[in-house]
Amino acid sequence: MTEEIPIWRIKYYPKSLGQVSGRVEIKEALKNIINQRNFPHMLFVGSEGIGKTTLASLFSKEFLGKNFDANLKLVYANVPLSEEERKQARSEAYVSTSKLGSIAGRRITTPAFIHVKVKPFVQLKVLGDAPFKILVVKNFEALGSTQQGFRRLMEKYGSNCRMILITTKISSIIDPIASRCQIFLIPRIKFGDFKNLMVDIADKESLQLTDEVIEILYKISEGKIAQAIDILQLSSVTGNVIDNNVLYENAQKFQNDLIRNLLLISLKGNFPKSRELARKIISNYKYNSHEIFKKLLVEINKLPLSKYVRCKIIDLIAEADFRALDGRDGDIQISALLSKLCLFSEYL
Amino acid sequence: MSKTVDMPWVEKYRPKSLKDMALPIAKVSGQRVKLIEELIKFVKIFFKERKRINQENKRIKAFNRTVIEKEQKEELKISTEKAGILLEGPPGIGKTSIVYALANDFNMEVIETNASDTRTRATIERRLKETTKSRGIMDFITQSKEKLILIDEVDGIYGVKDRGAVPTIIDLIQKTQFPIIMCSNEYKTNLQPLYNKVRRFEVKPLAKGEILKIVHNILKKENVTQLVEGDLELLIEKNNGDLRGVINDIQGISQGKIDGNTTELILSLRRDSLEEIFTLIGNLFQVSSLREARNLTDKSDVDYNFLYKWVNENTPTFIKTNSELVNAYENLSLADEIFGRIRINQYWSLLPYFFDLFAGGVALSRNKTSEAKGFRRVVFPRYSAGGFFSLTNTQKELVEKLNKKYEISQIDFIQNLLPFLKILCGSSRKQLKNISDWLDLDAKEKKLLK
Repeated sequence: MTEEIPIWRIKYYPKSLGQVSGRVEIKEALKNIINQRNFPHMLFVGSEGIGKTTLASLFSKEFLGKNFDANLKLVYANVPLSEEERKQARSEAYVSTSKLGSIAGRRITTPAFIHVKVKPFVQLKVLGDAPFKILVVKNFEALGSTQQGFRRLMEKYGSNCRMILITTKISSIIDPIASRCQIFLIPRIKFGDFKNLMVDIADKESLQLTDEVIEILYKISEGKIAQAIDILQLSSVTGNVIDNNVLYENAQKFQNDLIRNLLLISLKGNFPKSRELARKIISNYKYNSHEIFKKLLVEINKLPLSKYVRCKIIDLIAEADFRALDGRDGDIQISALLSKLCLFSEYL
Repeated sequence: MSKTVDMPWVEKYRPKSLKDMALPIAKVSGQRVKLIEELIKFVKIFFKERKRINQENKRIKAFNRTVIEKEQKEELKISTEKAGILLEGPPGIGKTSIVYALANDFNMEVIETNASDTRTRATIERRLKETTKSRGIMDFITQSKEKLILIDEVDGIYGVKDRGAVPTIIDLIQKTQFPIIMCSNEYKTNLQPLYNKVRRFEVKPLAKGEILKIVHNILKKENVTQLVEGDLELLIEKNNGDLRGVINDIQGISQGKIDGNTTELILSLRRDSLEEIFTLIGNLFQVSSLREARNLTDKSDVDYNFLYKWVNENTPTFIKTNSELVNAYENLSLADEIFGRIRINQYWSLLPYFFDLFAGGVALSRNKTSEAKGFRRVVFPRYSAGGFFSLTNTQKELVEKLNKKYEISQIDFIQNLLPFLKILCGSSRKQLKNISDWLDLDAKEKKLLK
C-alpha cells in the first residue's frame, strides 16, 4: 500500500540521483564517479537551498550501495554541540596520566567539534564491501578556524574515509582545504527543468498552472525547489486554479517577516520591544548570534535607506559580529547592536 | 574572667541551651511550625529509629549468614527524611547557634564543616564518613558522647574546588549513624538533589521585640548606658533581622570611645555583609562615581559570571533614553568581549577592566534619565543566547516521527520545515488532519503545528 504523503516537499523529494531535476552535467559526472568506484575529497559550492545536500546524500547512497547506513554520516557544522557532547569533549580532553609517553597528562587541543563529531566516525574501519566511508559536512564555512583541523584529517584518514564538504561560498574555505578537494560548482536549476518539474507536479495534483505563474514562481523561489513546492502546496489549499494573485498572496506569507520587523522596530527606536522580538526569533528558530547578524545584513540591503545610513549600519553589524566572536554572551552583543540601531531613529 | 573580656559578644552570649534562645518561627512546605520543638522531635525520632534499625540489621545479618547469597535480605537504612534536615534563612538569625544549643542540651558532640574547608568528595569523606558509618571500637566499652553533624553554609558549595560534594553529602545522609543538620542562606539550584532528600525548614528572621529583649539583656550585663532606645531601634532596622549584626554593632559602638552623636555613627556603620543581588543591582544604577560602583561590586559575593548577565537583563529598566542605552551597551559589549578573552587566554589580571566596564561603565551612562523614583522591578536573567542547541521534548518527538518517513536533521526541521508546516496547517484544517494522520501525532504535537 502506498501511503499518500501530505507534505509535497517530501512527496516529490527525489529518491535517486536520476530523479533530481536538471543539473545534467553534474549528474553525469557523479554517475561516472560511481562507475569508477573511486573519487577524491569533494567540495560542493552553490547558493542556499538549491539541492547541494540532496545531491551529496543521494550520490553517497548510490555509491555505497546497500552498506550506506553504516558508512555515511551527515554532519552540520553550524549546529552547536549539545550539552552531552560538550561534556564528552571536556572529559576526553586530557590524556590519562597512567599512559606512557611524553603526552601523558597533557591537554589535547583538538577542537571539540572535530573530537566529538568527526574523529570517531573517520577513525572506524569501513563496514561491508564499500571502498571507503563518506562523511558529508554541511555548512562547512561555519567552522571558521576549525577548518584547519580538517587538513590533517583529510590526509591521515583519506584512504579510509572521503569527505564531501558543502558550502555556499568558496571564498570562505581556506586554500589548503580547497586544494585538497575536487570542486563542484552546483548551478541553480534552469528554467526549462524547473518548468518541467512544476508541470509534472501540477499534473499529479491536478492543478492548473500557466507559464506566467511558473515564471513568477521561479523568480520568487530563487531556484530553491523545496520552497517553490511549498508555495505551490499552500496555494493549492484555496483551489485548483492558481493565478498570479493567489501565488503572490501565498508567497508573501513565506517572506521572513520577523527579521524585517526586528529591523523596523529598532529603527523606530523601541529598544525593549526589539530586544524581546530578537529573543523570540532566536528561541523559535535556534539561530546563533552569528546567523542573526548575517540575516540582518541581508535584510538591511532590502530596506530603502540612504547610502550613508546603510554603510553605517553595516559597519555596526560587522563590529557586533566581531565582538561576539570573542565574547561569552551573544545576547549582550545583539542587545548592543539593537540599541545602536535604535539611536538611528533620531536621524531617519 | 579576663579571658572573656576580649571575646566577641556574639560568641560570649551565644546561648548554651535551647531554653535561653529566642524562639524562631520556621516554615516547612508552607506551614508554620515552631523550630525548636521540631528539632527536638527530629533528634529524638532519629535515635529511636536508629536503635530499631540497628536491631533489625543485626537480625538480618544473622539471617544472611545462614543462607546462600541469593536469598539474603538487604540491610535496612534510616530514611533520609529522618536522618537529615536543612535550615534555610538569612545570615545571622541563629541557625548555627540553635544547632549548638541543641547539641548541648542533648549532651552531644558537634562535628562541623563549613565553607572555610574545601569540600571535595575526598575531604568530606575523610572528615565525616568515618564518624558516620561506624562507631569506634572503644564505643562499645566506654559510653561515649553521641555526635551531631553540622554541615554549615551548604550553599557555599560551588565550583571546581567543591566538585562532587553534593552527591557525597547525599551518600552521607543515606548511611549515617548520627543526625545531620545542614544550614544554608538561600535556595540554590545545584542543591536540588539534596532538597529532594531532606526536609527543608525556612527559618524566619526574629521579630523586632525579641531582638530588643536580647540586646537589653546584653547591655545590662555589660553595663553599657550610652545607647538609648531610639538608637537601638535604628540599629535593628538597619540590620534587618540579623541578630549577629546587631550584637556586633552594639559591641563596636559601646567599646569605642564615643564623643558626639551616636545616631550619626550608627548611620555611617556599614558592615561588608553579603549584599542581596536585587538590592545590588538597584543600587548599582544609582551610583554617581566609578569608585562607588567598584565598591559595590567588590563588596558583593555575587559571582561575576552572573552579575554582568544581571546587568544586561536590567539595563533597559533603569536606563530609558536611547542615547544613554547606546553608551551603556557599548561598555557592556566591550566588557563581554574582554571577559571572553580573559577566559580564553587566562589573563585574570585584566579582570578590573571587565568590572569597571560592566558595572561603572553601564551605570554611569545614566546621566540624563532622572534618578529612579519608587520601585523598579529587577528581573532575573533567564535568557542567554548562543548556548546549547536543544529542542523541547515535543519538538524532538515530532522530528523522530518524521525521521521514520523522511530523513531530516533537527536544525533543518526547526529552521525550514516547521515554519512552513505552521503556515500550511494554519491555512486549513484538512491539511493539519492529513499531516497528523500521516505521522500519527498526539494532541501536544498537533498544538505545535498550529
